[in-house]
Amino acid sequence: MFLRSIASRLSLWVLAGSVLVLTIAGGVLFYRVSGQILEKAHGEATALANEAGNRIEQRLARVADTAQTLAVVVGAHPDGADLTLRGALARNADLSGLAAAFVPAAGNPPESPFISRQDDGSLDRRDLRKDINPYWQANWFLAGLSCSQGCWQRHFHSQSRQREMINYSVAISADGRPTGLINADVSLDWLSRTLKELGKPAGAYAFVLDESGTYLAHDNPALVGQRGQANLLEALATHQASHVRLAVAQNPQAQGKPVWIYFVPIEGTHWRFGLAMPESKIYAGVRQAFVQALLLGLLALLALAVITLAVTRRILTPLGTLTSRAEQVARGALAFELPPARFPDEVGRLTQAFDRMRTELALHIAELTRNAKEQQRLASELDIAHQIQTALLPGEHYLDAHCENFELHALLRPARAVGGDLYSYFMLNERRFCVMVGDVSDKGIPAALFMARTITLAKALAPRARSPQHLLSMLNVELCRNNDSCMFVSLLCGMLDTATGELVMASAGHEPPVLCDADGVRLIELDTGAALGLDEEARYPPRTLRLHADQTLLLYTDGITEATDTGQQLFGVERLLACLGRSPTGSAAELAAGLLAEVDRFAEGAGQADDITVLALNWHHALADGNALMLDLTIHASMDDVFDTLDRCDASLRDQGVSPAVRDDVRLVLEELMVNMVEHGHAGGTDRKIELHMRLGDDAVLIDLHHDGHPFDPLQVPTPALTGDLADADEIGGLGIHLVRAMASELSYSHDEHGNHLQLRFLHPARPEPDHDV
Amino acid sequence: MTFSLNVENESPSRTTLHLHGRLDAQTFNEFDLAMLDVLPGLPEGGTVVLDLSALAYISSAGLRSIAKIRRTMRARNGHTLLLNPQPQVRKVFDIVKAVPLNEVFANAQELDEYLDHMQRQITGDEPASHS
Repeated sequence: MFLRSIASRLSLWVLAGSVLVLTIAGGVLFYRVSGQILEKAHGEATALANEAGNRIEQRLARVADTAQTLAVVVGAHPDGADLTLRGALARNADLSGLAAAFVPAAGNPPESPFISRQDDGSLDRRDLRKDINPYWQANWFLAGLSCSQGCWQRHFHSQSRQREMINYSVAISADGRPTGLINADVSLDWLSRTLKELGKPAGAYAFVLDESGTYLAHDNPALVGQRGQANLLEALATHQASHVRLAVAQNPQAQGKPVWIYFVPIEGTHWRFGLAMPESKIYAGVRQAFVQALLLGLLALLALAVITLAVTRRILTPLGTLTSRAEQVARGALAFELPPARFPDEVGRLTQAFDRMRTELALHIAELTRNAKEQQRLASELDIAHQIQTALLPGEHYLDAHCENFELHALLRPARAVGGDLYSYFMLNERRFCVMVGDVSDKGIPAALFMARTITLAKALAPRARSPQHLLSMLNVELCRNNDSCMFVSLLCGMLDTATGELVMASAGHEPPVLCDADGVRLIELDTGAALGLDEEARYPPRTLRLHADQTLLLYTDGITEATDTGQQLFGVERLLACLGRSPTGSAAELAAGLLAEVDRFAEGAGQADDITVLALNWHHALADGNALMLDLTIHASMDDVFDTLDRCDASLRDQGVSPAVRDDVRLVLEELMVNMVEHGHAGGTDRKIELHMRLGDDAVLIDLHHDGHPFDPLQVPTPALTGDLADADEIGGLGIHLVRAMASELSYSHDEHGNHLQLRFLHPARPEPDHDV
Repeated sequence: MTFSLNVENESPSRTTLHLHGRLDAQTFNEFDLAMLDVLPGLPEGGTVVLDLSALAYISSAGLRSIAKIRRTMRARNGHTLLLNPQPQVRKVFDIVKAVPLNEVFANAQELDEYLDHMQRQITGDEPASHS
């Protein structure tokens, strides 16, 4: 938690960095200084050792002088030796005993006096001649005789005085030959005392080594008489350095730590004086100084860290506030106080920027909220529009319930909520079924409105239309009216004779339909007029097609063919035909759904760019079940053929149990129409044909009449002036047509390049069927 | 079933024509030709009775033939009376309002009464004397 703050981390790092720098600098300094300290210590210790060595030298020199003087004196007056020795001993406190030992020979004094200082300070005298062991045979005596200039003997343990002693011997000469010797004893305790009296630094100790490497004296009495340690003696023997470092000191007093030993040879002897200084003592002062300096430094650094912490925290306090405010902003709260910007530094600028950002953000959010509400409203409106548009379309599935002659499946999927594609279908009358698929230019709401206009107009105009081309023309005129936005709709309209499967189609700039059957899949090419809404004068040539059993006609919009994949490739007509060709069965539902699925797979990832509509019309040709085909004739337009045909019709109707009244009506209407065709419709030709199809429906007789002659619309003939007596006028025209219109239950007329087409329907209520529904 | 015609001259001023079969575009010519023989023989103010009992069917062509007879008779101040039209014929007559209803009779008795009535009007006899 503590380390999360920038201030604490900064001060911690400052502290750590300073400590590191201090330690390294201190270490380097200590290393450099310690060398100098050591040099200085060497100098001081060597001087001390020299001084101590000199003092010992002086003391020993006095002993030697005394002994040499005595040798001369006693040599001149051997008899007074006793007194002389006594006097000398009394004067020189360093001596512990003096002896004048003579070679036992004639001419030499008979006594060899030995004066020794007792522990209580009194002098004792003894004649060495009377000792049990003859001294003249002892080593020390023989060695002393040869030492005319005087020399220090090896130390020994005095039995009589119970202490370690060393003696200095000087031969007494008479006439150039030694007659005896003066022996001056010095106790090693004296030497030790001398060492102790030296002014030594604390922790240092001194010693004296003899020529054989044995400690003659040592500040530690336990070591006296022992040999010096090997590396010390080796250092003494090999190089004449005045000082040597011992990693481990022999003296337990040094506690096994390294010591420096400084040597000084003692003149007049073969001894060496040594001063041992523990290394730790040498560095103790400087080390202590450094430790103190380090401690001080650490304290200073700690203070620095605390100051850094305080300053940083103070500087960063607004930043902390800003941080918590930013967290508030992240939670969506924008109303809060900001700390005042005290200085125009980075923090101050940040605070100002933050304030501005907060204000801008609040404005932005408010605008976004407004926009979102607007969007929501628009979306709900679009949703409703979508529902309304869907309601404009008939159901997706239509099965001709009456006779199951055909089945229709339609799928429409707008690219947006609403779209410009449309399809529609409805029965125009008992027999004729109108189907259309269209595509309004553009997409979205304008297209949807235009689509609604188109589909509503089409429904309204269709009952008045005699043919698809007629319907398209009427629609076109209506849509051209006030079409300032120059929108247009491509439309394919077909009218299907549900009895015969005859389909008349007309196209206003729409994609050609596809016909699928067992023989394969092919486009139905048809001449197309201009799209609706552009040219009031446009004409729409019709195309007639006779559907056969299990053929499916597929109408679609360019949403199918112009669907693009992620590589901007178009789905195209080839893929469309290939997909339909793969469809296992020719059912309308499967064809439509399969095609849509294929397009979806193709355009996967690219999104739907345009509205898509597919309408499949499957012709079952279940004619035998419902409408019984009674006659299907093609005759020459001649009177004989006409009346022959009338008889055949009559006979057929009679065979089907049609009532005489209806039969007569049928006969009259057919006679009037066909005679009319023969007499007036030949249009100059002689080989005109009349086609007649007659079927019997559930409740009606249905008749198609086609004639390839002069166009003649019986519906357009004016009603004759009927006065109540035909004899009133000379010649009354239109009687026959008047009868036709009166007799036929329904009559429709169309004309195309094939001629006149009349569709007639005669209600036939007498047909004895129990499930007859009216 | 084609068309045939029987002519019965009941009196010099009255001829009854019995029509059989269908009077249509195929047969009206035959009927018209026959009339050319019959009608001129009738005196001024004579009566033609068309017995339609056996006429099963008539079309506009037949109507025109009948209209022609009526015009001829009217020009000669004569009468054309229709007797007992069958349903199809009656229906056609109704649709085109072919003849005044008072000149169509359902049976011979009505016709006779009408003819007697006309006779009395011409001769001035009281109806009671013939009853």
